[in-house]
Amino acid sequence: MGKTADLLPGTLDMLILKAVSLKPLHGYGVLLRIRQISREALEIPQGSLYPALYRLEHQELIVAEWGQSENNRRAKYYTLTASGRRRLREEMAAWKRLATAIAVALNTTSEEV
Amino acid sequence: MLTRVRSLLRVLTSRRGFEDAMTEELRFHIEQYTEDLIRSGVSPQKAARRARVEFGSLNSVQEECREARGLHLFDELARELRHAARLLRKSPTFTATALVTLAVCLGANLTIFAVINSILIRPLPFPEAGRLVTVFNTYPKAGVERDGSSLTNYYERRGLIPAFSALAIYRDGTAIVGEAGSTEREHVTRVSPDFFSTLGAGPIIGRGFKEEETTFQADRVVVLTDAYRRQHFDAASHVIGSQIRVDGIPITVIGVLPSGFRFLSSEGRLYFPLASRLEDRGPRQRHSGGNFTHMIARLKPGATIAQAQAQIDTQNSRLEVDDPDARMMADAGFRSVVAGLHADHVASIRPTLLWMQAGALALLLIGAVNLVNLLLIRANGRIKEMAVRQALGASRSQVVREVIVETTLLTVGGGLLGLAAGSGGIRLLAVLGADRLPLGAHITLDARLAWVAILGSVVLGIALAVPIAWFNLRSHLANAIQSETRGGTPSRAAQSLRHGFIVAQIALALVLLTGTGLLGLSLERAMAVSPGFRPDHVLTGQISLPWNKYPDWPARLAFNERLLQQIARQPDVLAAGVVNNVPLSGKSGKSAAAVKGHLLRPGESPRGHYSYGVDGDYFAAMGFSLREGRFLTAADSRRAERVCVVDEDFARYYWPHTSALGQRLFEGSEETKDAEAFTVVGVVGAVKQAGLTDDAAQGAIYYPYALRTDDNLFVVVRTSLPPEALGLTVQKVVRQTDAELAVNDVRSMETRIADSLVTRRSPALMACIFSVIAVLLTAIGTYGVLSFAVAQRCREIGVRMALGARPEQIRNQFFALALRLLATGTILGIGGAWLAGQAMRTLLFRVPPLHMATLAGAAGIIVVVSLVACLLPSRRAARVSPMEALAGE
Repeated sequence: MGKTADLLPGTLDMLILKAVSLKPLHGYGVLLRIRQISREALEIPQGSLYPALYRLEHQELIVAEWGQSENNRRAKYYTLTASGRRRLREEMAAWKRLATAIAVALNTTSEEV
Repeated sequence: MLTRVRSLLRVLTSRRGFEDAMTEELRFHIEQYTEDLIRSGVSPQKAARRARVEFGSLNSVQEECREARGLHLFDELARELRHAARLLRKSPTFTATALVTLAVCLGANLTIFAVINSILIRPLPFPEAGRLVTVFNTYPKAGVERDGSSLTNYYERRGLIPAFSALAIYRDGTAIVGEAGSTEREHVTRVSPDFFSTLGAGPIIGRGFKEEETTFQADRVVVLTDAYRRQHFDAASHVIGSQIRVDGIPITVIGVLPSGFRFLSSEGRLYFPLASRLEDRGPRQRHSGGNFTHMIARLKPGATIAQAQAQIDTQNSRLEVDDPDARMMADAGFRSVVAGLHADHVASIRPTLLWMQAGALALLLIGAVNLVNLLLIRANGRIKEMAVRQALGASRSQVVREVIVETTLLTVGGGLLGLAAGSGGIRLLAVLGADRLPLGAHITLDARLAWVAILGSVVLGIALAVPIAWFNLRSHLANAIQSETRGGTPSRAAQSLRHGFIVAQIALALVLLTGTGLLGLSLERAMAVSPGFRPDHVLTGQISLPWNKYPDWPARLAFNERLLQQIARQPDVLAAGVVNNVPLSGKSGKSAAAVKGHLLRPGESPRGHYSYGVDGDYFAAMGFSLREGRFLTAADSRRAERVCVVDEDFARYYWPHTSALGQRLFEGSEETKDAEAFTVVGVVGAVKQAGLTDDAAQGAIYYPYALRTDDNLFVVVRTSLPPEALGLTVQKVVRQTDAELAVNDVRSMETRIADSLVTRRSPALMACIFSVIAVLLTAIGTYGVLSFAVAQRCREIGVRMALGARPEQIRNQFFALALRLLATGTILGIGGAWLAGQAMRTLLFRVPPLHMATLAGAAGIIVVVSLVACLLPSRRAARVSPMEALAGE
């Protein structure tokens, strides 16, 4: 396992939305998918995953449905809704603006001041 | 926001499913993780442990998940409810007292509100009922406040009043329905063809009436109400086209009304077309409404009553131009009034109902004050607990919420019991005759009432919580513990709050009691009014004569004669007569009469007089007193003699200085040929015609039946037996006389008089019940608060007694406190009673709004009851043993 980074507050929701947007997933799958797509860099605290999922479901950004897991067990699968997709787009745009701004700020050298 | 509420509702509706799903989902996660760990080489035991540790506390994750779905508030509420319920169960006496108080007070309010809801609030059962109006003629200067509308009015106005989209006329009456031998006298309503379309509700099976059915012979069609159809036809049978016998004539059924069809308070179960001849619709008949033909209309959308009124006024003044009676009608103050149909129908009962509700609310206030005092005393017992909890960090909102949950739980429980009490109350009202009020036949507990009960309970719960929460928030740890250790006196503010409530309670109870006294006294004085005849031992019943069998006066007279002979032959009958309307029937109509030689003085308007046709020994049977001359007899009728009897009001008005005997008068508003004149042969005592409390000396004329017949008559029998005992005999005799006839509305005159007072008696009785409860509540409240004061100051009393105070001194001290509260409450109550008396003036009869004896009596009752309630705790105070008091705790 490589070096992991702590999550910034507010980014967990965005990551979940992103993970679910690729393919319907159950909770454990969301955990694995985030680890995978972040190249093992992001580790979600397991305990905070489910309250976040329930919050997103409460806001109707994702919907849950019971289905079969890979090993034929009953599992709750989450899918992105239309408003979830919209929210993901907005959050991604906002995040990119923020990241760019911070990157620009941090790359400033003394000559540029 | 909406999505969250939706999501919350979804979860709440299947809370169990939510919990199960959550457990399963989390277990799945842990098991998957464990499997993955095993696959990566960890031993199964270690893997299971590690999976659980890394996941964290299952409980707190679940709690967070619930919170994420907004469930925690409900869980907390449920917890607080359980807590409150546990506390209430722990003090069963308090809880029972509170619930009974609430049930009684809310039940009283709901009962009255059910009446108000059914009569005043619920719209009439027609589409856009708010646009329905009635139009009636009034001749106030002639003493005729209402005279319905005439057929002429209808035909003249139909289609010509732009503010109306529809206009109709109807006439209530009776008819003999059924085959010979099994006939029944039914209430019927005769209506113009546009009646149903004006209301916006008509037959669901078949059709309504057509214009050509408003002429005689063509009018042999009937529309049945659902109630009549159910009673007389089985469900399967084909009703339309079948025939029923009405007044002996076969009539074809053309329509059936829906089961929900109710027109005002009408008892009519059959609807006929209102047929008339052309001359009945002409200008000569314009003022012949006679209070039994009524007009309804529907306002066009957007049109107002004021517009309709203006248009009717304009039309009336245009028609007056060539009306020979115009000047006289103007003198009589003639006007046609447009009024909202619903409002007009219930106008007479409205103030009474509103006052009843005010009384019930006063009762609720008294009960609420009691509860607050009880709750305050309870809160005082938990003062230390509260203080400690607040010191340990319980938030203010938590303290307040807890109180609100507790009081609301109580009041909602009380409200539900109150609903049950209310449904009992409605039944009680029905026994008291509420069904005889306008629209009173359909007083029910409906959804609106249930909502009002629950909403009212919640509001009351929150209101009750306010002083308790205030009290709890004030209890700081230091104070609470100090006051306990010092054994000192309780907080002044809380004490004066409790005392203030007692004062308010006494004042309110006094107002309620005085109001009840005034109503009761009014009822008593109304009942004491002599009706002007001897109502004891008189039985009356109504008979309708079918016009085809009894078309003219000789036929009707012959019937009377046979009937009266048969009745006279029965044992125990003292006298029997016939009249077309008995006094106090509620349907007394007035008509004009011209007195020969009487010239209208300037400013004097022609008068309407009560007019009757009498046959047989009517006057003797009813127990009239003779002032001068003689009564009319059967012989007068038989010979169609042009004689009449007037009452003393009439005689005094027209012949104040001379005898009325031998004077002459004309039926109708003007003098005609001498041969048409009636000679006065007797003067009888005045009787109450419209109601016992009607003081207008309007005057009455009694004509021989032959000269003033009617197809509806009352048979009047004086007997030596209790009158009801003769009921069956009269029924039998009527059938013997004519097998096709039926008599109904058989009641003694005393019953009729009692029934005529229903709008006075029921309120007085209800108010009486309210007052008894109010006095009881006040006594309980005073007793409770004073007992508490004694218990609380027990230690102080102990100390004082140990230092040599005598028991009397202690007792007097508490008694003085009670007296002070009582005096303040009584003074405030007298002020309130005076105000209430002024405001309820319209309900009083021969009782001044400030009736000293009533006020003194009410104050006396309150004082005595409160003093007794004070006496017990005061004596207990005097018996406090210093040793026990000081050793206690």
